[in-house]
Amino acid sequence: MKFWGVRGVSILAGLGFAFGLETMVSAGLPNIYRLVVLAGLFITLAVSLNLINGITGQFSIGHAAFYMVGAYSAGFVSNQFYAQQSLGPQLWLVVMMVFGAFMAGISGFVVGLPSLRLRGDYLAIVTLGFGEILRIVVQNIAPLGGAYGMNVKPFGSPPKAIWIVWTLAMVCIAVCRNLLRTAHGLPFLAVREDEVASSAMGVNVPKTKVTSFVIGSAFAGAAGALFALYDTFISPDTFKMDVSFIILTMVVLGGTGSITGSVLAAVALFAIPEWLRTLQDPVTKVAIQIPGPSLVATMLAVIVAVALVKLIQDRFYGDKGKKLGLYVGAVGAGVAVQFLLAALLKGVPQLAKLSFEAAALRMVIFSATLIILMLLRPQGILAHHEFSWAWVSKLFGRRPSEANA
Amino acid sequence: MLHDTLNLVAGLDFSILPQQLVNGLLLGSVYALIALGYTMVYGVLRLINFAHGEVFMLGSYAALFTSWSLGFSPEALAGQDKPSSWINLVLMLVVSMVVCGLIGMAIEFLAYRPMRNQPRIASLITAIGVSLFIQYAGGLFLPQSPPPAISEQVNPYRNEKVTVTLAPPPQDLVVQAKDARAKADQMDKAYEAAKAKGDPTSLESMRQETQAAKNAASNLETQVASKSTGLTVPYGQLGMLLTTLVLMALLWFIVQKTKTGRAMRAVAHDFDSAALMGVNVGRIITITFVIGSALAGAGAMMYATVLRTPLTPFLGVTPGVKAFVAAVLGGIGNIPGAVLGGILMGIVETLVVWLDGVVPGLSGYKDAVAFVVLIAVLLFRPGGLLGSSKVEKV
Repeated sequence: MKFWGVRGVSILAGLGFAFGLETMVSAGLPNIYRLVVLAGLFITLAVSLNLINGITGQFSIGHAAFYMVGAYSAGFVSNQFYAQQSLGPQLWLVVMMVFGAFMAGISGFVVGLPSLRLRGDYLAIVTLGFGEILRIVVQNIAPLGGAYGMNVKPFGSPPKAIWIVWTLAMVCIAVCRNLLRTAHGLPFLAVREDEVASSAMGVNVPKTKVTSFVIGSAFAGAAGALFALYDTFISPDTFKMDVSFIILTMVVLGGTGSITGSVLAAVALFAIPEWLRTLQDPVTKVAIQIPGPSLVATMLAVIVAVALVKLIQDRFYGDKGKKLGLYVGAVGAGVAVQFLLAALLKGVPQLAKLSFEAAALRMVIFSATLIILMLLRPQGILAHHEFSWAWVSKLFGRRPSEANA
Repeated sequence: MLHDTLNLVAGLDFSILPQQLVNGLLLGSVYALIALGYTMVYGVLRLINFAHGEVFMLGSYAALFTSWSLGFSPEALAGQDKPSSWINLVLMLVVSMVVCGLIGMAIEFLAYRPMRNQPRIASLITAIGVSLFIQYAGGLFLPQSPPPAISEQVNPYRNEKVTVTLAPPPQDLVVQAKDARAKADQMDKAYEAAKAKGDPTSLESMRQETQAAKNAASNLETQVASKSTGLTVPYGQLGMLLTTLVLMALLWFIVQKTKTGRAMRAVAHDFDSAALMGVNVGRIITITFVIGSALAGAGAMMYATVLRTPLTPFLGVTPGVKAFVAAVLGGIGNIPGAVLGGILMGIVETLVVWLDGVVPGLSGYKDAVAFVVLIAVLLFRPGGLLGSSKVEKV
């Protein structure tokens, strides 16, 4: 009884959150609406890749391929058949989401098969290769729009999508979390830790691997279907290798295997470039211009500061207060280097005449953040930790044993 | 079924096959140079160095800037012909290799060394980060619109080429072509004479006849050329192949015959035991990065100078991926495997373009075929062509 009670309340809370978000964001700017939709999609993508990479330990770096399969199958079918039936746009979204998931699940099955034979880096390459092959094939198929892309406009205007995107994200999180918490997930973890040993203990290794690929890719396909229908335009360029890499980065940066980490990293990594894109002077409302010397000085200063922080992290064993002081010192040294170098570099005429728009720097800042985070915290933001209520109560001063009791 | 296949084969122009194979070999030699860098780094560190393609890109820009400072910038040339010598080419090659070597060393020191004891996937993400960083930071500082290309005039041998005839054309066709050409020349002379004399009556009809004869002659000559099987290799491409061979021989010497090379092989074989045996592992890794990157630099200089690709900060992505596929195809970590894989990759790529003649639209799949070959090979030989797949012990 308690079980169903908790479940019912969770499901209601989840749906309430999704529809609440929908109503709240609809009132705001259309720009924000789009960002919230995309953030939800990236959460789904990151968590579903985490199932393959982090939980089952199959090194897949071609996740964008499944995203693309979902997007193109839903887009094509919508263009062909939406006009001939009487489902409303919202119901059609649900149908297409399921269809995209189904198609991507099939492709996930096909890609999962080589994982039975290949390991580690070789598997990574094959998944990457499948992604590229699919992309190039789509590029060469005229009915799918070829390299120019395809318009997906069955509804005329973009549908309301936040509720379904975020519901999908929550379902994805719930599936992965429940897998980890129940006996159904143990084979996945066992395969990750040691294939040979788990096989000796009676785990059906091939079945586990392929299942993880199918589930993970189905969620990515569902996300792709929603993306196609919401964004109304898809092209092979939307699903390049870079997208796979960014999804993989979300998983690793959040902490491989940690669902909470994937969610946090997905939101953060999605938000950083978007925020930088819109960066402008708050008063004059024009894009901020950064002079060349200070940009170069900042780059070098960041290297100095990060190197110092890393050195302190690795070499200093002392009390925490002192270590914190040293960190502050390192950052201060970085700032000092920045000012010094910026003044010095102003003397270089070739550099002094350059100036960059802040928005143009977004990918540079993004990749630098990536490198720095990985250098300073290689196990990911949350490592293998998960969000839990016990942790929250610990945060508020109650010991976990009391919370559980 | 058989009939269809035969028809398909009949549609192929086999006379250009040897030329295509040679082109593939030349392209493949550049891929092989880049693949060597991937495979060497993988061999010692078990790290896929995604930033290798970007080192390649920076190498091509280094060659471009060298050519500019040698006086071959578009402003300095301004449409005029400037003599060049082979010294310029060697200078560009050396600068490009040195710059790439230094960049490889810097990347290793700043980004990979601190990750040495961390999980491999973390290093991989760092590598992706470095690759993105170089691409986009390069986009800020490097000239890119319009994409600059190294001036053709740097290459002093650009008009010279080697021609080899493998199978001569049918003799009677040659004779016919020769006769037609002689006749056309004769008519041309007559026409010129008539024009000089200013005889307007038959001038127009004579002009038309002469034109027809000329067309017939050149038509026959084209037939002769297509019936004969031969090879044409420009000196530039030949030099590219020779340089690649020399560099590979040098690499073979370093790896097999020197003390450093023995240490490299030891580290590749077993990282920890090599360290226990007194190998300075850090130094060996640096050297590996420097050598691998310098080879990419050589490849980049030749790619940019001989094949004259327009340069962009994203130039390294496609050759980088292809070279990487080549390295995996040959068995990653295996040096001869990288060379074999690179050459195979180049040949497969040109063959796909050749087959486009019978299967229209096939060349659109050029970049996908590399991966298809790779997956096909990996399914049957999971360790690559020359690699050995290890049996896992419990």
